[in-house]
Amino acid sequence: MQTKPNERSASVFAQLRFADCSSLFTLPHYRRGVERNTQLRIVYTKPYSVGVAARQPLLDSEMANDGCVHLKEYKSVKGFRTYRLIHAYFVSCTSAEARRRKADSCICSICKKRGPRLHICLHCIYFGCYSGHIQEHAHRKQHLLALDISHGRILCFACDDYVYDSDYENQACEIKEISNRNLGLPHQYKSWEPSLIEQELLLEHPRRKRITHDSTIGLRGLINLGNTCFMNCIVQALTHTPLLRDYFLSDRHVCQFSDRPDHCLVCEVARLFQEFYSGSQEALTLNRLLHLIWTHARHLAGYEQQDAHEFFIATLDVLHRHCTGANANGGDSNSHQCNCIIDQIFTGGLQSDVVCTSCSGVSTTIDPFWDISLDLGTTPATGDTSKVPKSLLDCLERFTRPEHLGSSAKIKCSSCQSYQESTKQLTMKKLPVVASFHLKRFEHSSRFHKKISSFISFPEHLDMTPFMSHRRNNNNNNSDLAASSVADEPYINDNRYSLFAVINHVGTLEAGHYTAYIRQHRDNWFKCDDHIITKANIKDVLNSEGYLLFYHKQFLEYE
Amino acid sequence: MKEEDVLTAKMIESGELNRWKELLRLRLTECGWRDQVRLLCRDAIKQGNLEEMTVDQLNNEVTPKARQLVPDAVKIELLTKIKTFLQENTLQESQ
Ligand SMILES: [Zn+2]
Ligand SMILES: [Zn+2]
Ligand SMILES: [Zn+2]
Ligand SMILES: [Zn+2]
Ligand SMILES: [Zn+2]
Ligand SMILES: [Zn+2]
Repeated sequence: MQTKPNERSASVFAQLRFADCSSLFTLPHYRRGVERNTQLRIVYTKPYSVGVAARQPLLDSEMANDGCVHLKEYKSVKGFRTYRLIHAYFVSCTSAEARRRKADSCICSICKKRGPRLHICLHCIYFGCYSGHIQEHAHRKQHLLALDISHGRILCFACDDYVYDSDYENQACEIKEISNRNLGLPHQYKSWEPSLIEQELLLEHPRRKRITHDSTIGLRGLINLGNTCFMNCIVQALTHTPLLRDYFLSDRHVCQFSDRPDHCLVCEVARLFQEFYSGSQEALTLNRLLHLIWTHARHLAGYEQQDAHEFFIATLDVLHRHCTGANANGGDSNSHQCNCIIDQIFTGGLQSDVVCTSCSGVSTTIDPFWDISLDLGTTPATGDTSKVPKSLLDCLERFTRPEHLGSSAKIKCSSCQSYQESTKQLTMKKLPVVASFHLKRFEHSSRFHKKISSFISFPEHLDMTPFMSHRRNNNNNNSDLAASSVADEPYINDNRYSLFAVINHVGTLEAGHYTAYIRQHRDNWFKCDDHIITKANIKDVLNSEGYLLFYHKQFLEYE
Repeated sequence: MKEEDVLTAKMIESGELNRWKELLRLRLTECGWRDQVRLLCRDAIKQGNLEEMTVDQLNNEVTPKARQLVPDAVKIELLTKIKTFLQENTLQESQ
């Protein structure tokens, strides 16, 4: 009894392999007769996070001279209407109706099969497979052009090859984007192609910097200006944040202070990135940066020894304000809707669910965050020392656990309109590209200041899936709600992170010093102690105390 | 219609086939497969007789190597998705 469905699936696998997998290999743009080895290199380093860093492109710009005359003629006579229709219905279906039509009609007119490599005649909408039936039709009717329905590539029977036309390619791209949106899929990957200006620049500057695996480019010590190690270690972490580095090295900042660029912290950081990746190994002095941050975050100015965490958040805040052109000190720096590079990289969304213990009514709010501060001590309510977290995962588990707010913290419930005890739970609604964790090692109260030096283990690779709202949230007993939160889960779901920087505080509260471990290339670790940089390994990093931990998302979606 | 055809039609109609393709495309880009295959194609073009090299020939040349380069993790992820789909859809029919 049980073998039957298996047999059935096996044969479907076989068919799938035959019909579709071969079509999944996307071929690069290639025109016969011309070798395209114009290899341009703008790659400054090995891309860490996939896809976002400039890759190693073949120059795919339009070849001006030849190309297929048959397609050119077709274009001048028929334009784009037929092509668009065929594409939207049978290649990248843009609606449920189109998918139904495709399922019904994409079958070879002769052999009644779905493949191999089904084509559709661009002249009369005839379906034929590539094992001879589309060819037969083309010769019999003298219909020269057909479309491969798996890729939307145009086949010319007169040229006897696939041919390309940038106008049709652009149309195909547009339709594909609609189709992806219709299916709730992320944006498609587009490889980088140099614009005309970029092509000129590349030709003018033929020297390419190639970064070898053992290169020390990007590593620079930082002079201590008198207790400024808190700043040095944050700058080391920021300059080794892959996506931020990509942003600055590709020169993307458009200054909002055109009249006073010396006023702009983003410009200063852009300059720093150039310094860091110039290849020089001399230690840098960050006096301008410090001055700018003190000017724009006055609450920090003047302290003897500052807290690296406080400095990190203040720096992000000033950067965010300068990205958006907001000059006001403090004021409206709402990062809720902001699309600046700082918010694109560091902002996540924290969901807070407060459940009334009397009526089970849930009130949900979502707040943006730049970092997550994690308690290391005993839970204040219980004082149970066995519950002290021993790892980052323990901390996160505790952070996202439902917490009973107790009788002293009654909240007015919006459902039953009375003051009731409630449970509160925090979960991750949206994950940031860089997850920054702050281990609360410093306890300040009116009575004492102390440092918690207990060992908290943290992993090199971290999966945040268990702490996501749709996973962790067990408040809703309501089955409808549960079902809808599953539907919220994105189709392509990968929440894995890897560690790329750790900031440590060594010593006591009174006489302390900050150092940083940073990851260079894919897996080289270095210890940055002001102007001294030494090679380290991942063991040193994972055994260190850890004060601020920086993780980078492994897979990024295209936006 | 044969059972296979019904299932294939369902895969297309529900958009699953498209989703799988996109997932596969994404994974192959992420793991560097796409770049590797680009290089394979470039090498094949450099070595081949340019006047006669067609996309089909390139396809024939590169496909066997490209298939081997697909990481197992990617295959397994995709197969799991396909299996789940098939199980769900064969279950529905028997009910
Ligand atoms: Zn025809
Ligand atoms: Zn056929
Ligand atoms: Zn032609
Ligand atoms: Zn600026
Ligand atoms: Zn912002
Ligand atoms: Zn209530």
